[in-house]
Amino acid sequence: MSNQVVHKSNNNPNLSVKHIGKGSDKSISKYFAYIFLIVLCAIFVIPVIYGITTSFRSQTEVVSTGFRLFPEKWIFDNYVTILTNTSTAPILRWLMNSIFIATMHTILVVIVISVTGYGYSRMNFKGRDTLFFVLLGISFFPGVVNLIPSYKIIDALGWVNTSWAMIIPGLAGMGNIFLVRQFMKGLPKELDESARIDGASDYRIYISVIVPLIKPILIVCALFSFTGSWNDFLWPVIVYTDVEKMPVTAGLLLLQDIYGNYRMIGQLMGSAVLAIIPTLVLFLFAQKYFVQSINLNSGIKG
Amino acid sequence: MKKKLNLAPVFFVGPHVVLFIVFILIPTIYGIYASFTKWNLMNDPVWVGLDNYRTILFDSESTFHVQFTNGLQNTLFFVVLSVPLLIVIPLMVAVALEHKKVKMKDFIQAIIYIPGLISISAAALIWSLIFNKQLGITGNLLGSDTVWAAHQPYAWIIIIVITVWGGAGGNMIIYRASISGVAQDLYEAAEMDGAGAFRKFFSITLPSIRFPLIFTFVMTTAGAFNVFGQPLMMTDGGPQQSTHVLMMYIRQLAFGNGESIAGMASAMAVLLGLVILIISALQYYVMNRNAS
Repeated sequence: MSNQVVHKSNNNPNLSVKHIGKGSDKSISKYFAYIFLIVLCAIFVIPVIYGITTSFRSQTEVVSTGFRLFPEKWIFDNYVTILTNTSTAPILRWLMNSIFIATMHTILVVIVISVTGYGYSRMNFKGRDTLFFVLLGISFFPGVVNLIPSYKIIDALGWVNTSWAMIIPGLAGMGNIFLVRQFMKGLPKELDESARIDGASDYRIYISVIVPLIKPILIVCALFSFTGSWNDFLWPVIVYTDVEKMPVTAGLLLLQDIYGNYRMIGQLMGSAVLAIIPTLVLFLFAQKYFVQSINLNSGIKG
Repeated sequence: MKKKLNLAPVFFVGPHVVLFIVFILIPTIYGIYASFTKWNLMNDPVWVGLDNYRTILFDSESTFHVQFTNGLQNTLFFVVLSVPLLIVIPLMVAVALEHKKVKMKDFIQAIIYIPGLISISAAALIWSLIFNKQLGITGNLLGSDTVWAAHQPYAWIIIIVITVWGGAGGNMIIYRASISGVAQDLYEAAEMDGAGAFRKFFSITLPSIRFPLIFTFVMTTAGAFNVFGQPLMMTDGGPQQSTHVLMMYIRQLAFGNGESIAGMASAMAVLLGLVILIISALQYYVMNRNAS
């Protein structure tokens, strides 16, 4: 794994420590650590593998052979069926909706948090910190209170059953802006000061000096935004009634009824697998930055 | 010249302030206002003062009172069951992963984290198969003939398992990053004094990661109060409403079939919000005080 390298380099003191003291105690604790991790990994990964392999099983095999991690015979019929069944369970349509929603949302999040983070950390204007902390304080108020009126606002904007209902409201959150602001505050002041002396405007400094430097934190926020948007459940269940327009998470809820009673297990699992792939692929790409920027994030450390 | 300088902050901060006002501030204020009204989402709300709250809290004849108390009880039960596991298991993983001799750390970390990338609806489909009495592990390996989702305590076990499975990864990463930042000379000094693994964990690791522990504890608890997807997908509130959580009632009342009772739902939402606020504040206060 690529991030192993990153982690080790961050952890150098860890590796250079000499083992002083009770050697036996260490090896026992090592075995405990291994057994614990192996058991837990098995518990965490088996459901995923079983779900994936079952999507390649025929219905008769699932019902007749019971629990088995790998299929006797790998078949692709389930995927053919779910991808061509566009009338009752248009999963391709749902996936496209989700991809559009999550991508648009993520792009806009990255723009909004980097621009706003710049404003709160690299610019000087009257009431800057007051404004920031007032908004942050309000945002700690539990979101359940604004759920019902949010629907009303989406309705008033004409966004019920449209992708905007999921793309726009999430941009208002303060969490990512807080992270980006912290990150930007850690960058040396000289960077933009010298650019400013050369006559560069804030717009120019933002684009050519700051954005390239905050790439790692933006990538992590982008990953969180994408998976958050992709996996959101309560909100889409509320704002979508039109089957064609909904994202895949809301769609899967319908599948419980459509393919219900486990008459079509392979199709159910295939649908779940299709809904997992995009976030999984994204995670594998972003993993390196992930570990990096959380290690760098001193705000979270004690 | 001065006016030009004043426009840039508006450009950088202004758009988000507008988004914040429209999608957080106004709905929050309106949600509190709506809790004092009779409202069906369509017509204008009609002010009824404290009526909704009186019904929910004190009118034992009313279904709203029954729903609220049952929903809050179940939600609290979920919080109490899930939060300790969502703190302790990730902490144990992080400590085990920081063991010097353990290899493939990042591979293990990825495996624990991956379930967190899976949406609750996809996860529920997979776990329903695992818990299916004919096809899954419970039936085949444990030889149990029970329909887990329809009987207690199994219904709660299903919900907790899927919650911990999906939620452990996030906290683990925070703990791991924090533990790897603890100064190594502390451990070296402790080893010189002959401290064992447990002693080092309780005397050095835990106090050093105090802030991330408080942070994750408060956030995980607040998140757990909003539980919705797991019981909806896995048990649909059953058996006998024993996993019917408050969020499910709030959604039903406001957006369910039949006439919307959004005013009453808003009052329940405000009450749930208050519970979350009070508990978060208490946690923060107590943990901060004990630690210092």
